[in-house]
Amino acid sequence: MMENGRFQRQYVREPARRVFAAEFRDADHQMRGDEKDEKSPTYVLLPTGELCNRIFIVGTLTEKQKQGEQNVIYRARISDPTGTFFIMAGSYQPEAMAQIAKIEPPNFVAVVGKPNVYERDDGQKFVSVRAESVTIVDKETRDLWILETARRTLDRIKGSGQNQDLAANHYRRDPKTYKQMVQEALISL
Amino acid sequence: MTLQDTVERISRKLESKGITSDPQIIEAKLKRYINEFSVPLTEAERSVMNEFARDYGIDNVISGPSETKKITDLKAGDWATIEGKVVSLSGSNHPSIAQSGIIADETGPIKFVIWVKGPQKRVELDKYYCIESAIVDEYKGALSLKMHSGTTIVPVENDISYIPSFTQIQELKPGVHSVKVKLVQEWEVNHDRMLQTGLIADESGPIKFVIWKEAGAEPLKPDIVYGIYYATVDEYNERLSINISGCMITPLNEEFSPITSRDTTVEGVIVQVSTGSGLVKRCPVEGCKRVLSRQNYCPVHEYQPDFVYDLRIKGWLDDGIKAYDLLVKRKGVEAFTGITLDAAKETAETSPLGMDELYYQIKEKMLGRYVTCTGFLIEGRMVTEQCHPISLKTGDKALMLVELQEGKE
Repeated sequence: MMENGRFQRQYVREPARRVFAAEFRDADHQMRGDEKDEKSPTYVLLPTGELCNRIFIVGTLTEKQKQGEQNVIYRARISDPTGTFFIMAGSYQPEAMAQIAKIEPPNFVAVVGKPNVYERDDGQKFVSVRAESVTIVDKETRDLWILETARRTLDRIKGSGQNQDLAANHYRRDPKTYKQMVQEALISL
Repeated sequence: MTLQDTVERISRKLESKGITSDPQIIEAKLKRYINEFSVPLTEAERSVMNEFARDYGIDNVISGPSETKKITDLKAGDWATIEGKVVSLSGSNHPSIAQSGIIADETGPIKFVIWVKGPQKRVELDKYYCIESAIVDEYKGALSLKMHSGTTIVPVENDISYIPSFTQIQELKPGVHSVKVKLVQEWEVNHDRMLQTGLIADESGPIKFVIWKEAGAEPLKPDIVYGIYYATVDEYNERLSINISGCMITPLNEEFSPITSRDTTVEGVIVQVSTGSGLVKRCPVEGCKRVLSRQNYCPVHEYQPDFVYDLRIKGWLDDGIKAYDLLVKRKGVEAFTGITLDAAKETAETSPLGMDELYYQIKEKMLGRYVTCTGFLIEGRMVTEQCHPISLKTGDKALMLVELQEGKE
C-alpha cells in the first residue's frame, strides 16, 4: 500500500559495494560514470572489476584522530582480517562526525561511505572513504560482513563484463592474489 | 441483410456527416447496381457509399459493411461487426451515454457504450444482438465497443449460453474478465460510496478489489470461493484493481488455498535510517493518516491536536547489488527493536529530546545491521511489517572454502 501523499521520484540510489581492505587499498583509479557529463557521479574501480560510488564496511575501529580547529575533520582506521580502511568525516558529514566523536576504539563499527582516490605530493595515489554513517555493531554483524564480502568478491573474480575488462586492463593483477585474500578472511572467522 | 437495412445504414452514415439524404435515391442507386449489373449487395453498398462520399467531399467513411469478428480478435481502431449476448448492463453515468454494459460471445467479453447521439435502439440484458459497424476504442489498455450513429443494433434469435472462462489473477490485464476467488483481506472503506474494498485472491496471487454501493450490492464473505463474472480490471499507477460492482457473483462449491500476497523477501543491510523514522504523529482524519509536522499540522487537514502516534522506519536496504527504498511499519519496528509503541510514547514524553530520542535509539539499533525483510516490493520500494535480523550460516564459509580449493586444482 502506497503511503498517502508520498512524492513519487525516480531516484536510483547507488548501492554500497562490499569489499575487503586489501583489495580496496589497491584501487587507485577513479572515473566518472559518464565522462562527458560533469554532474555524473564518480566511481572507484576495484581490481576485481566493480565500479563503486559507495561502499559498506564492517570492521574494528582501532584509532581515531581529530584534526583542525575551525574545520574539524575526524580520521579513523577501520581494520578487517585483510588490512585497514582509512575513513574520514568532516563538517559536510555532520552525522558521521558526531558518531565517530562518540565511539571509543576499539569497537566493531559498520560504515557506509563514499570512496575517493587522492594523489599525495609525491605522486602516490591512495584511497579513503568519506563516511556517511558510522554505527557500533556486534561481532555477529562483523562475521556476517566477512561472509557476504567473501561471496561478493568471489562472484566478481568469477564474473566477466565491461568492468572486469576495465579492471584487468588497468590493474594487471593475478586474480589469485584476491582469492588468497578471501581465503584468509574466511579462515579468520 | 436486406436492401432496406443497407439503405438505412448509408443514410445514417451520411447523416453522421451532416448530410440529409433521400432514402429513395439511395435505394434506386443500389437497385441499379444489383439488378442491372448483378453486383452483390455488399459491393453495391460500397460503391454507392463511395459515390456519395465523392459527391459530398466527405472522407473517413467506411464504405462497406464491416467484417464480422469474434470479440477476442478485436483490436483498437477496428470498425467491426460482432454478435453476442448482453451480459451486464450498467445504465448511464454521463449525459452523452445512453447505455453501457458488457457484451460477450463465446470467445470473451467486451465493454460497450451506446452514445445518446448514436443508434436509437436500446439493448436488454441477456438478449442477443448483432452489432454492425461499431468502433473499437482503447483507453488505458482496455478495449471497448463504441456505438455511434453509423452503428446498427439488430436483435438476433439465439439461446447459446456462453460459459465465461476464468482468468488467473496473475494473468489479468485491463479489460473485462471473470475470476474465481476468495476474499483474503478487507480494508477500511475510505469513501462514502464504497461498500467494500480489500484483496481477493486465487491460486496465482491477489488483486485489489472494490464494490461500490448500489442497489443489490452485497459484500463478499471470507472462506467462500466465488465465481465473479465480467468484472472490470483497471490500471492505475501501474497497479491493477478489479471493480466487481454490479457483477454476477455466485458462491462456488469449491475449495482452494489462495496466495494471499505477492510477498518478496530481500536480504541486505540497512544502510540509511532517514529523518522521519521512529515515532511519528499521524492525522486522525479517516482515510488520511498523513504524518504531521512538529506543529501537529497536516498538509491537507491543517491543525490536528488529536493526532495518533505510530512507529515506522524510512530508509534504504542495500544488498550490495541494489539499494531498496525501505518502509518498515509499526509491527516490524516493534519486533526488530523491542520498542513498543507505548514504550516509545513514554520515552518521547519523558526524554528532553522528545520524539528525536526515538529516532536516535532506533537508528542505533538498526543502522548497519543485516536484515531480511519480507513484504510488498514495487518499483524498488519495499513496504514491510516483517523485518528480522539475519543469523550467521556457518555452512556458507565451508562452501566458499571448498570453492576456493577447487579453483586451485
